[in-house]
Amino acid sequence: MSSSQLLKGILEGCLLSIIAKGETYGYEMIEKLYTYGFTMVKEGSIYPLLLRMKKEGLVTTTQKQLPSGGPKRKYYVLTDHGRTELQAFKRKWNDISKSVEQLLGKEG
Amino acid sequence: MKLSKQSQAFLEDLRLYLFTSGKNEHEIEEIISELKDHLKQAEANGKSVDDIIEGTPKEYMQRIAGEMTLDWKSWIKYIPILLICLLSYDTLSNALNGGIRISLLELSGNIIIFILFSLMVIVIFKHVASTRLSKTTEYTWFAIIGGGPIFLYIALIYLDRLIATPIITFTTTGTIIAIVLAIAALIGFSIWSKTWITIIIPVILFLPDLILNQFQFNESLQSVASLVITFSALVGYLYVVNKKAKK
Repeated sequence: MSSSQLLKGILEGCLLSIIAKGETYGYEMIEKLYTYGFTMVKEGSIYPLLLRMKKEGLVTTTQKQLPSGGPKRKYYVLTDHGRTELQAFKRKWNDISKSVEQLLGKEG
Repeated sequence: MKLSKQSQAFLEDLRLYLFTSGKNEHEIEEIISELKDHLKQAEANGKSVDDIIEGTPKEYMQRIAGEMTLDWKSWIKYIPILLICLLSYDTLSNALNGGIRISLLELSGNIIIFILFSLMVIVIFKHVASTRLSKTTEYTWFAIIGGGPIFLYIALIYLDRLIATPIITFTTTGTIIAIVLAIAALIGFSIWSKTWITIIIPVILFLPDLILNQFQFNESLQSVASLVITFSALVGYLYVVNKKAKK
């Protein structure tokens, strides 16, 4: 598995978690990811993922007019299905990270 | 703040790529406006489109396209409309060249050329949109799009002379009715699609001949002159359209 494939799965879980904290849009998601240190993520790579998440019914979107005028902005909200997926991701991630840490800890 | 030229070009190329991939028009506009919003904010923070897209433009366009639904249904409606335009054009061309006499080979040849031309447009536009080409290569592709059908039509005319197939001949009244219907169809399409193309293309193709007919040139000089004028006008028209689309 290439590092980018591994990252995509993790990234999807992280996006679910960011959107779960409240309605948000693409650029804001990237800024949040960067503050958590996800600088290896290319900004544009979230959009194919967001398209898929919408197709799978994990999120819904609304277009909103900005107070400053100009074109509308697309906001994302988590669905119930998205919330269940997020819980599943958290459980899986806990298991994986625990195992990896234990393994690396023993080796190190 | 206005988007940089590079970002705008990328968005236009992406739109063309998704459109020629048969994606839903509404979904295309949605992702384009979302990326535009993102690029605006990124550029305000001093980043360029290269910092944003993942991999080459082509790889990124493929990834976006891969997540979008195919929508051939909204495409299929164009096929009969374009076929009617093509037959209208052909009717005019025949009427101007001494009355409507269509052989079966000509009729089926026209439909085959139409299909080949449509496939060529889709493949070439998709290629041009997703790859960074030099201007010369890009215009060579557009010249092929412009010249390809002309070449095929000439081939069809010669083939038609070689092989005899049943011929349908129109009377004078029939011809007049056909001309009126053909012009109405072309104007109708122009209004429906809000483009000038179905009016400009027949003008480019027929006007040179009509004007040259007024002078007493010898026949071979006239046909060469009319081909050259038509071909350069077509390339010029595609150039202008492409320039406009990139803006």
